[in-house]
Amino acid sequence: MSVVDAPRPVGKLVDRFQEGLDAPICLTWELTYACNLACVHCLSSSGRRDPNELSTQECKAVIDELERMQVFYVNIGGGEPTVRKDFWELVDYATAHKVGVKFSTNGSRIDCEVARRIAASDYVDVQISLDGATAQVNDHVRGPGSYDTAIAAMGHLRDAGFSGFKLSVVCTRQNIAQLDDFKAIADCYGAQLRLTRLRPSGRGADVWDELHPLPEQQKQLYDWLMAHGEDVLTGDSFFHLAAFGESLPGLNLCGAGRVVCLIDPIGDVYACPFAIHESFHAGNVRSPGGFRTVWRDSELFRELRSPQTGGACNSCQHFDSCRGGCMAAKFFTGLPLDGPDPECVLGHGELLLAARGDQVPPKSSPDHSKNQPRRKLERRPSLITLPVIQSRPDRACDESPLAGFAKEQQD
Amino acid sequence: MLEQTAQTSAATEVLPDCAATSTNANPPLEGSALVEADLLVEDVSIDGMCGVY
Amino acid sequence: MPLATTARPSAGTKADFDLDRAWQLHPQVALRPESFGALAYHFGTRRLSFLKSPALRDLVESLADHGTARAACEAAGVGDEQISTYIQALATLATSEMIIEREAS
Repeated sequence: MSVVDAPRPVGKLVDRFQEGLDAPICLTWELTYACNLACVHCLSSSGRRDPNELSTQECKAVIDELERMQVFYVNIGGGEPTVRKDFWELVDYATAHKVGVKFSTNGSRIDCEVARRIAASDYVDVQISLDGATAQVNDHVRGPGSYDTAIAAMGHLRDAGFSGFKLSVVCTRQNIAQLDDFKAIADCYGAQLRLTRLRPSGRGADVWDELHPLPEQQKQLYDWLMAHGEDVLTGDSFFHLAAFGESLPGLNLCGAGRVVCLIDPIGDVYACPFAIHESFHAGNVRSPGGFRTVWRDSELFRELRSPQTGGACNSCQHFDSCRGGCMAAKFFTGLPLDGPDPECVLGHGELLLAARGDQVPPKSSPDHSKNQPRRKLERRPSLITLPVIQSRPDRACDESPLAGFAKEQQD
Repeated sequence: MLEQTAQTSAATEVLPDCAATSTNANPPLEGSALVEADLLVEDVSIDGMCGVY
Repeated sequence: MPLATTARPSAGTKADFDLDRAWQLHPQVALRPESFGALAYHFGTRRLSFLKSPALRDLVESLADHGTARAACEAAGVGDEQISTYIQALATLATSEMIIEREAS
């Protein structure tokens, strides 16, 4: 690995993208705030359906707009999008109208038949969420039984002959030790592994202090990702780690409001799914002119597309690679947007956080969490000290991908 | 002796080399102009843009 | 490959691309014009290509209308001094399967 980065060819192109395009390249569309799970870190604070959800007709009108704008594909999520009764009607409508679909799911509605249906379409992809390579680690964050549900869904997809679906993981302090195991699970089921960043968004703010990776774990993660190259996806979540050395694959820039955005279940448009807050609200698709007008003319997006200063980060020699990190991560930890990311690899963010004292940072809004006591994350120091498990499963596809592991290395 | 050397190289691996980085921050103009002129096509994974979960 | 490495110019070699075959955009590719050229998304490989020139975009769109890529280049007015740049671009697109050979009509 050379120390000198390859020249950034995108000198011109990156500027173009930062100025925004006439249409998003792709976008996230949260179809519903309803969800059968209650993950502690849910970035959309989902749980309860909003009574004002877009109707089937309104959703189709949005799809018509996306087709006209030539948006290549939508990442349909939520909540749990499959709980909408019109879910398949909308997916089929999108693909019939030249908009590709990748939907994000906890797997609870992926049975044999559904798996076959997905496998049969060239234009439908699926992403299964999993945040632990073992039930112990996963269910701690996503709830009892959620690991088994995800694994079962993956089994159905594999059996239906659908390879290349995504296994998407949010990296936490508790699962950084399991990166090789996640890869083994993905390989076992013919899936592509995707590692993404935990952000202090939605309910994530409540558990960020306990769950976000430690500095040495960030380095570990970066090294692991560099070693795996394009085999492992990241959703470009880790461009803030570019200060460690070479950039990871991807555009390495914040796409929010420039090449991507979020449409939420009630038609509100936000810069990105990690920034569900009034400060990042661009408009609503129900307004005259619909989504297209919001994308092209909203004040927020115009602002995001104007030249951004690095502020306090301008003097840092790494600013060109890390771009000052993630605005959502800064916003929801109460840091100024023109300064370091809370997880700045040089530690500048940590210093600033410490200096912030007791000020309460902004909270995501709206909050559709279920009206039940939030599951508290007990401190589980033992999980942090688990050794990195290097071994591989015994056979290509055991029922449990960890079947070959020593008992004490499993749960 | 060997151990010390190994530790030193491990330490320099953790932080990017400052000299190399600053060289990269100001690439020779001719070089970067060549790169841009030569390459009319670049590609990236559709998963390569931040802001999509 | 990451954007950065794609940008590394290959050390002085002419790209391997047969100008004298018939080419076309892959049927699973959506091509979207942009002011800088075009975005091309391949639904099969899930790769996104940036065509950084409107002229290249027009050339690519016209490939299916010509018996050979060479003829398409000539029709597009690509001069001798530019041809190697376009060959490199077409070769990159062929490697990523954005364009494919077709049965010459």
